[in-house]
Amino acid sequence: MKVKRPELSLLKKIFLVDLIKGLLLTFSYQRPSKNYTEQYPKVRPKVSERYRGAPRLNNDPETGETLCIACNLCALACPEHCIEVGWERDAASKKVLTDYTFDISRCMFCGLCEDACPTPCLELTQDFELSLYGRKDMKWDRQKLEEGNQPVVYTK
Amino acid sequence: MEFAIDYILIPLVKIALLLAVLPLAVAALTLFERKIIAYMQVRLGPMRVGPWGLLQPIADPIKLLLKEDIIPAGADRWIFVLAPVISVISAFIVFAVIPFGPEINIFGKAIPLWITDLNIGALYVLSISSVGVLGIILAGWASNSKYPLLGALRSAAQMVSYEVAMGFSIIGVLMLAGSLSLVNIVKAQQSSGVWYVFYQPVAFLLFFICGVAETNRAPFDLPEAESELVAGFHTEYSGFRFSLFFLAEYANMITVSAMAVTLFLGGWLRPFPNVPWLGFLDIIPPLFWFIFKIIVFMYFYFWFRASWPRYRYDQLMKLGWQRLLPLAMANVIVTAILVVLLRG
Repeated sequence: MKVKRPELSLLKKIFLVDLIKGLLLTFSYQRPSKNYTEQYPKVRPKVSERYRGAPRLNNDPETGETLCIACNLCALACPEHCIEVGWERDAASKKVLTDYTFDISRCMFCGLCEDACPTPCLELTQDFELSLYGRKDMKWDRQKLEEGNQPVVYTK
Repeated sequence: MEFAIDYILIPLVKIALLLAVLPLAVAALTLFERKIIAYMQVRLGPMRVGPWGLLQPIADPIKLLLKEDIIPAGADRWIFVLAPVISVISAFIVFAVIPFGPEINIFGKAIPLWITDLNIGALYVLSISSVGVLGIILAGWASNSKYPLLGALRSAAQMVSYEVAMGFSIIGVLMLAGSLSLVNIVKAQQSSGVWYVFYQPVAFLLFFICGVAETNRAPFDLPEAESELVAGFHTEYSGFRFSLFFLAEYANMITVSAMAVTLFLGGWLRPFPNVPWLGFLDIIPPLFWFIFKIIVFMYFYFWFRASWPRYRYDQLMKLGWQRLLPLAMANVIVTAILVVLLRG
């Protein structure tokens, strides 16, 4: 395909208008407020509001007990089957959560579990620092999920 | 004794000072360049070495000097070693004639801020800067490798063709000043009270464009075009020898800026030397004005690099021979006619 060259008027050619336009553009970019770089490990980056990151099991802020009712809906909703909910019946034959495993190595952070959860218990948080030293560390148990992911704080 | 001090001791001190300051200036310029280009590209540039990256110019040379110095097996050893030396020497000896400031008094002795005042200073600078091409050609040839050779060929063609237009562009100034000595050119601007850029705006633009091309900087950086030729003529160089080429390139940029300042922007003179009410500016030492003007030019170099894409090779040749050269010649003729008519 032959691309037609843009026609430049003689005045534009003589006074190099397009080159000067380019210069002015780069000059205006120098304003520090235009700067786009995030000083990541030093400064926490701004994560998008709807970002789905590390999972967490929320506790009731008043009693400190888990909000999970062991309904198993999250495990059923998960397309990757990476959630396992363990429960037992108490005296009143009500389900009580015993243990909870979340395999973040298989999780694709689709958020279906979060949507399925009838209580505000399971939440995919904004935290994104999920690198670990081994595959076995990626199976998060109930304790880890209730504490939430604790990223290493950068100091220097 | 008097003779020894005047002709041996003082010049030696000046030379030593220059040789010490110039690499430091180059190191500082690299940080200046990286920061400016970074901000123009909406980034921050070096931030991790020292506060605001200020120690980066110290870390860079240390890294370069500690690196392994490799000479390729197929290279022509002697010429490979010689080439960066030629480059760096020709870049440095130009500074012998550049007037950094007027004469100053130290211990009751008038000491001029130039190493020597050659009566053919402008010619000397032009001729030495063409010797610099030799270093580049030798480097490309001695490397025994495709990319360096291509880079060297391009560099040779480019420098030869832009040298012509550069030479023509300064003739106008020489006619106005009536002298080839750089010191006398500045003094002529002082006595006429006007920077020559106002008499010779076209020549000034031509000189700077050719200067950018001479120093192989963007948008004329074909000899080291990263995207096409890896690193051009210094592809095979590493460590200390590479840093010599690097030093030479930046020293050449300073030279071109210093020449443009001396010939067109009144050297060490303050802005508008003929306007009396600006006299309060005389408190600032002339050396400051000279360095300040050079820094402005360096800023332009970096600004161009951040803004413009590289010329294609045929466009480069076309621009040099078909646009700049005729324009420079026309400028010479018009200036000559005006000088004859106005001086009677």
